[in-house]
Amino acid sequence: MAPTHSGGGSRFREASSLGRFPVRCDRPPERRKPGIARTTTDAGSTPRGEGERAVILNTIQSRVRTSPAYRAIADQVRYRRQDVSGTVPKIPALPYLYISPFFVLFAVFLLFPTVYTLYLSFFNYLGASNEVLLTVDFVVFQLTIPQIANLQFVGLDHYTRLLFQDSLFHQALFNTSFIFLVQVPLMVVLGLATALVLDAKFIRAKSVFRTLIALPVATGLVAYSTIFLLLFNGDVGVINYALETIGLGRVPWLSDAWWARITLVIAVTWRWLGYNMIILLAGLQTVPEQLYEAAEVDGASRWQKFRFVTLPQLRPVLLFVVVSSTIGTFQIFAEPYVITGGGPSNATITIVQYIYNQAFLQLNLGYASAVSVALVILVSIMSIIQIRYGGAE
Amino acid sequence: MATIDITKLRKEFGDEGEQIVAVEDLDLTIEDGEFMVFVGPSGCGKTTTLRCVAGLEDVSSGSIEFDGVDVTDQRARERNVAMVFQNYALYPHMTVRKNIGFPLRLSTKQSSDEIDERVEEIATLLGIESLLDDKPKELSGGQQQRVALGRAIIRDPEVFLMDEPLSNLDAKLRSVMRTELQELQQELDVTTAYVTHDQVEAMAMGDRIAILNEGRLQQVGDANEVYRSPTNEFVAGFIGSPSINLVTAEVDGDTLVGPGNFEYVLDDVSWVDGRSRVRVGVRPEDMHLVEDGAGSMPSEVTVVEHMGNENFLYARMGEVDLTARVPSKMRPPEGSRVRFDFDEEDLYLFDVDTQESVKTKTGETDVGYEQYVHNSV
Repeated sequence: MAPTHSGGGSRFREASSLGRFPVRCDRPPERRKPGIARTTTDAGSTPRGEGERAVILNTIQSRVRTSPAYRAIADQVRYRRQDVSGTVPKIPALPYLYISPFFVLFAVFLLFPTVYTLYLSFFNYLGASNEVLLTVDFVVFQLTIPQIANLQFVGLDHYTRLLFQDSLFHQALFNTSFIFLVQVPLMVVLGLATALVLDAKFIRAKSVFRTLIALPVATGLVAYSTIFLLLFNGDVGVINYALETIGLGRVPWLSDAWWARITLVIAVTWRWLGYNMIILLAGLQTVPEQLYEAAEVDGASRWQKFRFVTLPQLRPVLLFVVVSSTIGTFQIFAEPYVITGGGPSNATITIVQYIYNQAFLQLNLGYASAVSVALVILVSIMSIIQIRYGGAE
Repeated sequence: MATIDITKLRKEFGDEGEQIVAVEDLDLTIEDGEFMVFVGPSGCGKTTTLRCVAGLEDVSSGSIEFDGVDVTDQRARERNVAMVFQNYALYPHMTVRKNIGFPLRLSTKQSSDEIDERVEEIATLLGIESLLDDKPKELSGGQQQRVALGRAIIRDPEVFLMDEPLSNLDAKLRSVMRTELQELQQELDVTTAYVTHDQVEAMAMGDRIAILNEGRLQQVGDANEVYRSPTNEFVAGFIGSPSINLVTAEVDGDTLVGPGNFEYVLDDVSWVDGRSRVRVGVRPEDMHLVEDGAGSMPSEVTVVEHMGNENFLYARMGEVDLTARVPSKMRPPEGSRVRFDFDEEDLYLFDVDTQESVKTKTGETDVGYEQYVHNSV
């Protein structure tokens, strides 16, 4: 709606200015003008006939728009519109109606599943159910709400299980934490480094590099994971072939617990580096140039400028990158699912993958819900610590 | 502290093919301890010159020397200059204490205690000792300005550079800070280059004033000199507020004839020897209202601005607009016909083509205290 509106406005300005100086209509437009000229672009770059047609159209339009008859009608329309908007009744609740679609969708697809997950985590799931949960009598009709599942209340059993008994969950927690501890610092440092390089004045073809680095974000999760699976294949993968060629020997990328986790770290870093780099680059570009100049005059070296100007100025952006990477890493699923399958011997199974296994392979929906709740708590704690520590203001 | 020698300074911006010359062949010496003000309209190259002196811009050609040492290729951090920026450029994440102490922390081996002591000393000097633990965003414009000054002076720089430091302040604070800056500069006796677009500020503050236009130095001199003896029409027009009145006149024997029945008979015809046309300049403060029938500038009053202590009369003489400063008691109604006159010693004449000065003020500059007192009585 908005673009049409502003386009109309600028076209009108264009027309009226042409109307006042009719001489200008006879010449092709010298520079790019708003409104009509925008669609035909510069006369030089398009075929001549098109440019001339635009000028003729322009002239006709401006003649029409400046004619007394047109103006009289337009004024009448404007007055009517003012009258109408004055008589439209004010409905106090109307704004809420306008914003309600979001809340409806939010409630159905986010709020309900969240609350229901918490609810489920105290039950054992026994199977689907068609039984009626409750019936609401609206006199004219009856609304029956079905019981979604057959549930058996188990209290805090699931939580005690995941805390004290489930060694596979502990393994998943360890794996995820390992990936987090290696991957997040690596990605933040790399992201900052690439952003700094791309922000430097002497780099040419910045947009090309920027696009290339940011491109992986646009690739499909499964597609890129599959390619990594092929690249890092221990026997026929290109990576090992290259390593062998330069005399470094093969690395058991997917068959060794340690290297399998490293493979995941590399994959995730490859995909998300560009995203973080773009955010950090945007942050870097908001640092006022004068602060660097002031620091330069104050005697700061390059490193000191980075340390005392760039880093503090970038702090909120860095915090965002760290927190969002943390959340992202704790939710990692597709990469281990496709590349390692959680193996070798559960060395790379992640929490979300474990939830998936519990929920959809073993149909332990209750227990999977409990693990999900635990994950939310864990990520929340991490984020709160980071925000407390990293964002003093 | 340091004498600054600028020789044949040239600075171009832009890529090859489409170059903009910001500063062209600028020669200037700023004496040790001098307060030099660079003034000119926007885009005249004054800030670029200052940034070249600071080392924030590479020069295209020419050289800059501090006390005979060529610093042209040195970076800003190697030059021992301090700079106050227009928007202060305080480090937003640091307290006032850290901001002021920052240059010492970077460039000296002083201990933290020594630095703190020095910061407090400077803060007391500037009257901001109670703000030391605040962040810049909690401060008013004037306070930020003082912090920026503090950061500049703490290092005892050889050269002090200020880029329109007062232009973000309101009018009243600006005049207060103007005086403070001058006092501070005199106290520290540091060579200072100061950029402003405000000619009043330039006149009030500078030991000498360098007037630039379109990248070229027009004139260097003290306030009196540039006001009384401008080298060309541009300087005459730029210095003085309201601006000088300028009229193109034909020379007819000993008479200057211009638009709207302007006629002025010269006592000394030698000024216009061999000229058929000349640009005539009269400052608003030199125009007197005279009675009907007399005077050389018959005109019609268009607007009267009451300043309290005086009035500005805006009038039209033919197609030329005139401005006159007259005593506040004189308030002719708008639309009335008036006549102005001026003394020949206050007359400026400029060449029509080159715009160079032909004649500037010739009256005595210093009448002496006794005579002044005598005249006033």
